[in-house]
Amino acid sequence: MDLAMIVYALNLSAIYALLAIGISLLWSSIGMMNMAHGASFAVAGYGALVAGDLLLPGINAALQGSALLPLVTFVVLLAAGVGSGALFGVLIYLLAFLPIHDKANFAVRGLIVTLAINLATVQALLWWFGPRQQALPNIFGFGRLNLLGVPVRYDQAATILATAVLLSVVLSWLRLSRKGLEIRAMMQNAEGAALSGISVRRTALPVMAVTGAMAGAAAVLLSQTVYVSPGAGAMPLIKGMIIALLGGLGSVPGAAVAALLIGALEAATGVIPFLGQRMVLLVQFGFIILVLIIRPRGIGGLLDETRK
Amino acid sequence: MTKAIAPVFHRVGNRRHEYVLVPQGGDVWRRARLPGVGRHWLNWRGTYNPRTLQRERRLADKRPLWWLLGLGGLSAVAPFLPDTLLQVAVIFAVFAAINVIWTLIIGAAGILSFATMATVGLAGYAAAAANVFWGVPWPLMFPIGIAVGLVTGGLLALPSTRIDGLYYALLTIGLAEICRVSISQIRALAPANSSINNVGSFIPQDWYLQRPGLLLGFATAMGLLLLALLMFRLVNSERLGLQLQAAREDEEFSEAVGIDYKRARMAVFLLASAALGFIGAYYAMLYRSISLSVFSLDQMLLMFAMIVIGGMGRAEGAVIGTAIVVVIDRALIDLGPLRIILIAGVMIAVTLTTHRGLADARQQFRAWRNRIKSERRAARTRKGGDVMPEEATEIADRQLHAYRRFDKRLRDRLKDMVTPELIAEHAAAPLGPHSDALSRVLNYFRRGEMPDKYAILQDGPPEAWVYSVLALSGEPGMPPRVVDDRSYATRDEAYHAVFLLRVNDLLES
Repeated sequence: MDLAMIVYALNLSAIYALLAIGISLLWSSIGMMNMAHGASFAVAGYGALVAGDLLLPGINAALQGSALLPLVTFVVLLAAGVGSGALFGVLIYLLAFLPIHDKANFAVRGLIVTLAINLATVQALLWWFGPRQQALPNIFGFGRLNLLGVPVRYDQAATILATAVLLSVVLSWLRLSRKGLEIRAMMQNAEGAALSGISVRRTALPVMAVTGAMAGAAAVLLSQTVYVSPGAGAMPLIKGMIIALLGGLGSVPGAAVAALLIGALEAATGVIPFLGQRMVLLVQFGFIILVLIIRPRGIGGLLDETRK
Repeated sequence: MTKAIAPVFHRVGNRRHEYVLVPQGGDVWRRARLPGVGRHWLNWRGTYNPRTLQRERRLADKRPLWWLLGLGGLSAVAPFLPDTLLQVAVIFAVFAAINVIWTLIIGAAGILSFATMATVGLAGYAAAAANVFWGVPWPLMFPIGIAVGLVTGGLLALPSTRIDGLYYALLTIGLAEICRVSISQIRALAPANSSINNVGSFIPQDWYLQRPGLLLGFATAMGLLLLALLMFRLVNSERLGLQLQAAREDEEFSEAVGIDYKRARMAVFLLASAALGFIGAYYAMLYRSISLSVFSLDQMLLMFAMIVIGGMGRAEGAVIGTAIVVVIDRALIDLGPLRIILIAGVMIAVTLTTHRGLADARQQFRAWRNRIKSERRAARTRKGGDVMPEEATEIADRQLHAYRRFDKRLRDRLKDMVTPELIAEHAAAPLGPHSDALSRVLNYFRRGEMPDKYAILQDGPPEAWVYSVLALSGEPGMPPRVVDDRSYATRDEAYHAVFLLRVNDLLES
């Protein structure tokens, strides 16, 4: 096991953590399983693509040869991805949360509606942009950084760094702001929070927007290695969901640990000769089933009885 | 001399003659029964119609007729359909059968499993492989499919005891992907792109994709659907299903009365898995081949859309949803990707508006209409009468509403008639003669209800009677209660005291 593999594993883990924490956060705060998270991912990829097509020529002309160019490009693309992800989150909020959140059977109905949104969005993207895979402009170049003797690709380094920054921003927002306090109150006891005057509707909107934005960030970061395509959201959705499950739905530290574990497992499975890249999913599922049989509510989750 | 009086009888009321009720109860009970078991074919009920005053026979459950109309209609039309539509009908019947069995797993057993197509596909692959590579004759593919389905179901059932609900659902979503990857790794299948072709079948080789082959395919697919429905009926409405229904309503209670619901759940899951295995073998035979596309995620999502649109947990829901989605997906194929968007739109609309899918929409609409109706009725009665809105919905007898309203109006008019002069007139001569106004008031008092009606108690020695006022309880055996401790020397005074009490009651009401 060499050090380059650790970097690769960290890179995967970072992106998975962005997705899984979004799913986990949404489940624990408003009790909705967001199956449209993959759609947010795909939409954000296309948002960044369109914004890049529209804005980058101008920026390139303005900052010709400047050292700031890659940074500005990165910020523009990330902002476009995050913005379109957040907007899509608001759309999901309007369609899947607002009409039914106080009706009977919300958990299952929310799951169904978000699933339908996912289906429709993927097909709409396919219809509008066509099935062709498109690449975002390469931001970081193809160089390698030599970090303490370990060769690290620029995009890997940037992804890990950006994820760390984004996650710490989101988590400190949750920890320190007034809205974050409301969200945490709702996570612990939704009824109690409602009784002390926390509006479920007003709290759910920023949660949806933030989780959508996280999916958008993941999309832009991942699109440095994977192309943007209409069906691009399916794999991140499945990965994010199984990591959220493995970490215990609703537990943010659990999701982070699970993301690290799964990222490491994926990197390790890829290099073991008789397993290879094709068996990655199989090994992951086997691992998750094993963990869930030992701990039915995931790594960080508590059984309902224990929680009571 | 007394003179005999010839009595004159007048017809009372507007009913011209007494109705003679002919119940003909025997008719209700002469119902055909299923041979072998004591059950009836149709749920006939004998009722008494309060409008026509006739005894009637009513079909309490009309669903069998709808089933006959729908499936029978499709079967009757099928031979005249063009080939493409006939293929759509075949796909409908096969998917409807799968969805009915899946409904059994989700609805009756309450296990949110998405491994349906994985089970079907695995059984199909095993049966096809047995036929093509080991030369097993086609009728034996069915038992192979059933066995593989049972084994898959058993393996799937193991974690379901530990992992519940959503966790299990999300795990089983991945199972189809695992199957797809594993089968694509098999080297022997690699030349044919991981599919198995030229599977032996009940459809002869030279009929395949020809008109007689399609018709035979449709007939067997319909038979499969009927078998699936029969299985749904036998499992869901008999002992296993009833046990599970009790468990769904209250797990602790059903456990306390001795229902081993976990075992029942497993039994239903295994039975359904075996049925899915059967369908898998049938699927491989119907198309004479099986490919990796049975495991595709999109296919599974479409099937989920089917049972969601129809309504989870009911056989008719599974069939209706399958019909809608298959028609949009296969018959409107010119629309391209738009048709998936259409399906998703239908899915969202149905989920947002109905509680349990389209199959339940009629009941939901009726409940809504009844609520609106009772609200309107409550508003009506509140305006004119005495019936409070919350009470109005509980009084079934509409005549009582009308009477209360009439009574309210009457009292309002009588209140205006009560004046000091009227009371003075009564004090002067309690037993009359009375003026028109006073006799109206007294008439109203006289037909009051028995509970709390006032009475006069005559007490004491015969030479010095003392009168006091009582109120009757209105119930046989219950003694009257004393109203107050006043006593009156003459009977007229007592009469007047009762009158004052009643006037007081009237004015207070």
